Amino acid sequence: MTRRPLSGRLRAWHLVAGTALLAVLAAGSLFVGVSDLTPAGLLAGRPEEVRTLVESRLPRLLAILLAGTAMSVAGLVMMHLTGNRFVSPSTAGTTESATFGVLVATLFAGGEAVIVKMVTAVAFALLGTFFFMAILRRLTFRDMILVPLAGIMFGGVVGAATTFVAYRADLLQSLGAWTAGDFSGVLRGRYELLWIAGAVTVLGYLYADRFTVAGLGRGFAVNLGVRYDRVVNTGLVLAAAITAVVVVTVGEVPFVSLIVPNLVTLALGDNLRHALPATALTGALFVLLCDIAGRIIRFPYEIPVSTVLGVVGAAAFLALLLGGGKRMGLR
Amino acid sequence: MTVTHAQGSTTIPATPEKVVVFDLGVLTTLDELGVPVAGVPVAENLPDKLAKYAGDGYTKVGSLFEPDYEKVNSLEPDLIVVAGRSSAAYPELSKIAPTVDLSVDNTKFLASFRERTEALGTIFGKQTEVERRLDAIDTAAAGVKAKAGDRTGLIVLTTGGKISAHGAGGRFGVIHDTLGVKPAAEGLSTDTHGQAVSAEFIAKTDPDLLYVVDRDSAIGENGAAAKQVLDNALVNGTKAAKNGKIVYLDPFTWYLAPAALSSVDGMVKAVGDSLS
Repeated sequence: MTRRPLSGRLRAWHLVAGTALLAVLAAGSLFVGVSDLTPAGLLAGRPEEVRTLVESRLPRLLAILLAGTAMSVAGLVMMHLTGNRFVSPSTAGTTESATFGVLVATLFAGGEAVIVKMVTAVAFALLGTFFFMAILRRLTFRDMILVPLAGIMFGGVVGAATTFVAYRADLLQSLGAWTAGDFSGVLRGRYELLWIAGAVTVLGYLYADRFTVAGLGRGFAVNLGVRYDRVVNTGLVLAAAITAVVVVTVGEVPFVSLIVPNLVTLALGDNLRHALPATALTGALFVLLCDIAGRIIRFPYEIPVSTVLGVVGAAAFLALLLGGGKRMGLR
Repeated sequence: MTVTHAQGSTTIPATPEKVVVFDLGVLTTLDELGVPVAGVPVAENLPDKLAKYAGDGYTKVGSLFEPDYEKVNSLEPDLIVVAGRSSAAYPELSKIAPTVDLSVDNTKFLASFRERTEALGTIFGKQTEVERRLDAIDTAAAGVKAKAGDRTGLIVLTTGGKISAHGAGGRFGVIHDTLGVKPAAEGLSTDTHGQAVSAEFIAKTDPDLLYVVDRDSAIGENGAAAKQVLDNALVNGTKAAKNGKIVYLDPFTWYLAPAALSSVDGMVKAVGDSLS
């Protein structure tokens, strides 16, 4: 996984430009929605417009930024730890396991607080991810494509189990409602758990160097004095926790964790500490753009962000495979 | 005797004795008319008056959506009734026994409901009682419509913390189409699952009356109950909230078994009460 990184100056320039773009879009997104909210109205301090901003638009923006950032960083970390650029929470069974956890929590603790759901989802996401890692260790051919294929199949099995349980419990429609990633229900008081995902993402940054070394392989890492297993486990726990928190609060946001890290490393190289801020930034941008599109296309109704991400993400993934495949060492 | 229904017409024996019913609305009506049934779908959270159908005395013939064909076959029924959720099973079921589809057309709910219920009355020889109750519903509905005036209403369904809006011609459209409450939003999809909306949409629409169907409680889940979903500053700022006109509709009546004599009775009454 080596490629020529861009020069430091170019990288800094990219980050500044990206941040500026994100700031502009973020500010713009505050004024996209059903209720009347205009910059002029805000400046005039109209109470109902201030209320819309505080209760609905700001929480939604924060939720989008946190979810986009956290999911793409989770993807980047998993990609490094497995040494495979197609391994992400959505291709290693992590997302599906977290969803299964939410279902189990609903069945056995329906009326309980969200925190119960979250803890269960994190536990299931961890179990699933570690199970996938165990499969990975037993794979003889660690082909670039074979590994994520195994993960997708494992995720498919977990997903089938989830569907079966939901079917028997007459919860299929409800399952559909929880899993479709959607920011339309985000209001003040409904998204704050995502800050946990944000905090975990920061932890990921602090650990970045060790993840980079671990990504070079066990032998190399141990020689450099890194506690390989502990670093790998920490990374997987971080990724699983982020995924579970996002699934519980907004639902599944497909493709972000897979595409964003790939696009960024394609441009910036593999040093995790360098790639992390750009990945976080791009993830936030990507999800924000898709959500704004979902809000505009069928105004005043909404298309869930997961649907938009599914369409845009699938196209981007194909383009990556076909166009970037050579550079990524696939062809 | 030949019965015309939503998927054509079927010839059935003069007095069918062994009856399998897949629709909770039809089941409720038959219960009220004192017609015995042999097979019913598995359904939890039935209201008290129907609780006996969950017991062992009735053969369970599948889910509300999907028949257990072997069970149906082994019962050798004289008549099978499907509607709404189970209407897709009509072709298969009609191979087993005479089957009628009593689905109600939501775009002309009351007229269609009358037609279907009259068919039931004819099949089981209960015409007089059916006519009497249908006429009473029509009279009550006309009274409610006269009361509605210029008031606007929005119908939302909540499930798993998400909100969808339903308009005229939709599954809860009787509120607008028959009972005369003006739709607060135009052009809502008549899709079974309505139109996904945000709390901002409710705030912007600002209806005089907000009608809420809580799907989670309809299916016995108490996850994110509707009250919790709708208790936020945006919804609380609407005219409906300020005037105490957020109306929680009975989930069995509106969601699970809308096309039943007592359900339609209850619908007319609920909307009438909300207008007083």
